[in-house]
Amino acid sequence: MSENLVAFEHQLGTTSLSMPELLTKEAKEGIARQASFPTTRDEPWKYTRLARVAGLTVAPIAFKGAPALLKGMETIDVIFEKGTWWCSAAVEGLTLQSANEISPESWQACTTKGHVQHLNTLTAQGGIGITIAAGTTIQQPVRIIHRCSGAQGAMVLHHQIKVEDRAHVRIELIFEGEAEQAYSNVLTDFFVGKEAQVHVDKWQNTQGAHYGFYNERIYQERQSTFRMQTITANTHFTRNDVEVFSQGEAAHTQLYGAFFGRGQQLIDNHTYVHHMAPHGTSDENYKGVLWDKATGVFNGKVKVYQDAQKINAYQSNKNLLLSSAASMNAKPELEIYADDVKCSHGSTTGQLDAQALFYLQARGISKAKATEMLVGAFCAEVFEAVHSEYIQTAIAEHLTL
Amino acid sequence: MLEIKALHASINGIEILKGLNLTVKPGEVHAIMGPNGAGKSTLASVLAGKEDYEITSGEIVFVGKDLLELSVEERAREGVFLAFQYPVEIPGVSNVNFLKTAMNEIREHRGLPALSAKEFLSLVKEKSALVELDASLASRAVNEGFSGGEKKRNEIFQMAMLEPKLAVLDETDSGLDIDALRIVAQGVNTLKTSDNATLVITHYQRLLDYIVPDYVHVLFDGKIVKTGGKELALELEEKGYDWIKS
Ligand SMILES: Nc1ncnc2c1ncn2[C@@H]1O[C@H](COP(=O)(O)OP(=O)(O)OP(=O)(O)O)[C@@H](O)[C@H]1O
Ligand SMILES: [Mg+2]
Repeated sequence: MSENLVAFEHQLGTTSLSMPELLTKEAKEGIARQASFPTTRDEPWKYTRLARVAGLTVAPIAFKGAPALLKGMETIDVIFEKGTWWCSAAVEGLTLQSANEISPESWQACTTKGHVQHLNTLTAQGGIGITIAAGTTIQQPVRIIHRCSGAQGAMVLHHQIKVEDRAHVRIELIFEGEAEQAYSNVLTDFFVGKEAQVHVDKWQNTQGAHYGFYNERIYQERQSTFRMQTITANTHFTRNDVEVFSQGEAAHTQLYGAFFGRGQQLIDNHTYVHHMAPHGTSDENYKGVLWDKATGVFNGKVKVYQDAQKINAYQSNKNLLLSSAASMNAKPELEIYADDVKCSHGSTTGQLDAQALFYLQARGISKAKATEMLVGAFCAEVFEAVHSEYIQTAIAEHLTL
Repeated sequence: MLEIKALHASINGIEILKGLNLTVKPGEVHAIMGPNGAGKSTLASVLAGKEDYEITSGEIVFVGKDLLELSVEERAREGVFLAFQYPVEIPGVSNVNFLKTAMNEIREHRGLPALSAKEFLSLVKEKSALVELDASLASRAVNEGFSGGEKKRNEIFQMAMLEPKLAVLDETDSGLDIDALRIVAQGVNTLKTSDNATLVITHYQRLLDYIVPDYVHVLFDGKIVKTGGKELALELEEKGYDWIKS
């Protein structure tokens, strides 16, 4: 077997971030040990072939130096585009810094696993560090916008978002742009302090042969709330890994998602919630809609640690296949080591309700419009959880035929 | 307005309609009666354009157009309305949104401008009052959690909103209490003009006391085997269907 992973790492260059020695070593060893990209024999990549990724020729897009300043916005924006990056000024209670300036000690809290995170550790070319001071509520949404466009490019970024105790913030993670051929690997670490509340709306809409790997790692303290909605549309290849370490007591996690695959697109959502402390709750709700020959994956893993009693973990994944050539692979995984817990999960994959479609058409509504209405209704719970107006509009545009 | 000639229709290879003929003129009310499984709902579904049925032979001309050539939505836009025997619940789609979309698609087809929100709402008010449909139901999801009677009223409410040329009421009376029956029938009568026609499918003569038919047909084993005036319904009520079969 060729050492295509090693070669791939080389073309991405060396990271501009000051990662701690330990992590770099771990990542280097990880890549060396694995040598080549995982295959579908590797459980986490069972439905997602990486051969095309291994064959990509892309040059790293670096975001060094200070960002250009953005002014007069109702939102606090950080924009990563090919060529340069921009950033709004800090506001009371919110500090922004380039990830290049984050000290090795501040990255220390994280551990990495898997080739995606290892590549990120070794080759990240920038990112944003955001800190919300204890007790502050940031009124404007903070948007991190990624636009990868042009002939080719690799956007490898590592963000760190620290929300201190009792702070509240709403964040939008936006992935757009049209590239002929692109690779992105964006890792975002969220540190959610005690009683802090974080709401994240994530919108993925990249055009072209864009291979996107998105990892969010969330470390939650006592009585904190973390909510994230991941909406994926129009993307050639997307792999999302959301991993939550619910390490403080009575923390609440909500992970919602909706994905829309057409053509030969592939959308793979992996979630992993670690319930490490008692009285925690988690609520997962993912909806998939697949047309044509699109492929969807939902793999939701929940692990309840031995001392994590009184956990309430709920997981639901429902999918609609709008063509007989579309396929969906759904897999819940529960690992429970505590005895007093409530865990439930359910997954269904079906077709559009033919009776409902006929009913709508019989009132004069076109088949396309009726389908759109039923798809909208199917995803309503997820859409309602999205607070970002920008994303709401983008979803409506995407679903309107 | 509607001319059905020697219609044969089957589902899953089983022939259900076996040479059905029916002519309906503007301003007329036709009642169709017949035993369970005779093919009454099949006829209604075929008129509305349900794709599960295969039309093996025969023709349907509706206001000069070949109905069988039209899609489900085109038929509705041309003025065919089916009040379903079993209205479908559609969670997540609000009744109001659904109707607004339907009305505007139909209006566009007829070359009329879209209704303003205000015009639409006042129509909703007026027409829901006609069938005494609780206004709060309009804002709920389509038929979701509606009682049997509420679903039927909702069908007639939609009919009132869409003003079809040909309304096919498939057992709209079943599941209605006596008051509701009268209200729904009054609604239908109010909507009646000399330009539109109604096809009433029912098992009970009682409905025909309120919606007085010009013709009563007996549909039996996929064909119309007897046609008469409104007195035929009374006769059927008394004697059942056996005397017709033989
Ligand atoms: N999918 C199907 N496959 C096979 N037979 C079917 C199918 N759908 C309907 N039928 C049959 O077609 C026949 C006619 O049904 P239809 O619903 O038209 O009867 P109906 O006259 O409306 O009866 P009712 O008075 O009970 O409403 C029935 O015998 C029914 O079983
Ligand atoms: Mg019937």
